[in-house]
Amino acid sequence: MIPTRNDRITTSQTAVIIINFILGAGILTLPRISVEKAKTPDVWISVLIGGLLAMFTGIIIVKLSQRFPDKTFFEYSQEIAGEWVGRILSLLIICYFCLTSSLQVRSMAEVTTFYLLEKTPTWAIVMVFLWVALYLVVGGINCLARMLEIILPITVLFFLVVSLMSIKIFEIDHLRPVLGLGWKPVFDGIKPTALAYTGFEIMMILVVYMRQPNKAVKAVVVGISASLIFYLITVVMVIGAFSIDGVVTRTWPTIDLIRSFEITGLLFERFESLLLVLWIMQIFSTFTLAYYSAALGLAQLLKKNIEPFLFGLLPVIYIITMTPKEINGVFALGDFVGNASIFLFGILPLLLLIISRLKVGKHEAKSSS
Amino acid sequence: MKQSHHRERLLLLTSLSVFLLFLLTGCWSSQDIDKMGMGIGLALDVGNKSNVEKKLEKQGKSPPHVDTITMTYQFINPKATSKESSSAGPQQKAYLNASQTGESILPIIREFSLSHDAPLFSPHLKIIVISEALLRTHRLESLLDLFLRDNEIRPSCLVLVCNGNARHVLETKKPGELPALKLLGIVDNRSRTAKILPPVSLAKLTAKLNSESSFLLQNVAASDKEVKFEGAAVINGKTKKWAGFLNEMDLEGITWITGKGKGGLVRSLDKETGQLIIYEIETMESKITPHVDGNKISFDVHINSKGRLSENWVLNANPFENEFLKRVEKAAELEVRQLVKSVTAKMQKNLHADVAGFGERLRIEYPKTWEKVKKDWDQTFSTVPITYFVKLTMTDFGASGPSK
Repeated sequence: MIPTRNDRITTSQTAVIIINFILGAGILTLPRISVEKAKTPDVWISVLIGGLLAMFTGIIIVKLSQRFPDKTFFEYSQEIAGEWVGRILSLLIICYFCLTSSLQVRSMAEVTTFYLLEKTPTWAIVMVFLWVALYLVVGGINCLARMLEIILPITVLFFLVVSLMSIKIFEIDHLRPVLGLGWKPVFDGIKPTALAYTGFEIMMILVVYMRQPNKAVKAVVVGISASLIFYLITVVMVIGAFSIDGVVTRTWPTIDLIRSFEITGLLFERFESLLLVLWIMQIFSTFTLAYYSAALGLAQLLKKNIEPFLFGLLPVIYIITMTPKEINGVFALGDFVGNASIFLFGILPLLLLIISRLKVGKHEAKSSS
Repeated sequence: MKQSHHRERLLLLTSLSVFLLFLLTGCWSSQDIDKMGMGIGLALDVGNKSNVEKKLEKQGKSPPHVDTITMTYQFINPKATSKESSSAGPQQKAYLNASQTGESILPIIREFSLSHDAPLFSPHLKIIVISEALLRTHRLESLLDLFLRDNEIRPSCLVLVCNGNARHVLETKKPGELPALKLLGIVDNRSRTAKILPPVSLAKLTAKLNSESSFLLQNVAASDKEVKFEGAAVINGKTKKWAGFLNEMDLEGITWITGKGKGGLVRSLDKETGQLIIYEIETMESKITPHVDGNKISFDVHINSKGRLSENWVLNANPFENEFLKRVEKAAELEVRQLVKSVTAKMQKNLHADVAGFGERLRIEYPKTWEKVKKDWDQTFSTVPITYFVKLTMTDFGASGPSK
């Protein structure tokens, strides 16, 4: 299952993939979720610390993957933890990727039906989305990477320009005082902000595909730092406009930020539709990556070709997407996926890294005696 | 053989792309814009059924509607705005106002669907005017709940209060003028006067409605189809209802305390001659500094402004002499001090509400003290000592010099 030489990706492509995977539907609710926990305007510090935490975990994953330069997680986990445990772990991660991709599709569908296409049935929006994704991933990881390279600059540029336009309604007093109630609120806010960075786990699979796997740490650091800056700007602008009292009342605070101002005299007066359309591309990239990873995991687990799994997973993802009955169910699914990721990508890689080190140590000790 | 295969493929692709062209023609949930009732302004009044409504109700024989709120929607009149008809026929009003009475907002809006053919389309709603009388009995957050929840109405929509009938604000005599947009234009005049509050949009209101601090909403008065921005309504932070009124002078005082003004005038009398002097504000700054000493809270307010001598009725005045300018500065300072002191007394003694942002400064500088006092801040505020320091600087005196 080792990919062919020409199917490999460059270091910058890897960084782009990481950013694309991190930035998804989460940014639309991040300001609310983090302020709900921290209850002070200091959440931007939580965003910073959460980012550093994510970077640390990301580096652990890379270190782990670099020990097995020609294998993905689905293969090397069996080597470290034994065949059965490894398989179960892989299966868990495959489930995780399925859930993440479904969650992205559902969030996209919710936002689209609410703000853009009120009368269009959800299935119509979701199906178009899924089919286009299938068309893309059949082309393989390299196609995916090149597509993401096109998507990223467009979405990021527009998003930043539009959110900076909200400077008109920005009030610095809403972000003050800094650390007024001490560090405790900041720490309370770390969990939701750190979870916003999930996406670096793609490195469990990606290192194998890199032309220069030794630069994987660099890719992770660049990828997470870029997302960090992005999150920081979003959180600061949203809280600056709504204040913490206002943010907690908005279901989709980031979109409402864009809806809260009009710029007269420019080509457009209102930007939410434009922004949403662009952001759907960003959600699309997160979705396709998760979808591809899940299919790849199944293929490697069963040592088969990936294509049947790509087709097979599509209806599964559709069913999971349509399962939550109401919007709170969607948010609950999001919480579940977040909590699962703490175990799967926060604790598990560290454990595996320690075990694999110990094993090597034992092995060496044996051979030397 | 190979060529026919190629041709088949080409045919398939062509027919597919032709088929796709059909999909491009329409949008799933499209609606024609000329068939929509484009709402731009909205007024909420205490329920008062119109005669037509009463007659229709009689004919309908259904149980009478609850009539707590009367809503007036302002639509753009598409016939008047298109150029052809306005040049031919008699001049039509550019807007149409429609009123409907009911129990709460959305049922009223849906009631419109029984009497109007164009469905109401609200993404371009610019302004909501609520009458003082309605705000005395209803919580602001309940009245605005729908607008904050809705996906069509944008949070950039502004909110005003009217101390008369709110629906009269949405009327005008001038043909071609849209009252809702006129109100929006007046809000922009803040560089000319200190008697207009910074605009309060629905977005900004979400925060205010979710905190316990009292706040101000711009008041607008209407008479004989003319409108005027006049003073501000005080909304109580706890009840979220109308709690008092600040007149123009009070509002100017508030602008000076917050330092958020963008322009305006200070009218003062010369001490020696008793003649009029008008000081025009160029810049305005204020710094509210809280002091906490044990349980005692006090505030210092430093107000600084630069401006110009814009109108001078004093005879024998020579602005080339700094002495005269100093005299004028002192007179204007006195005036500003009186403005801020009188509004402070009103806030502390009559209204018992902090609407000038003292609490906000305390929250920023002494967050821990604020956590303790925020619950009953309006009461605590009523007794705190506030000291004002006013400094105005006359930077220039325009194109004319001494007068004789």
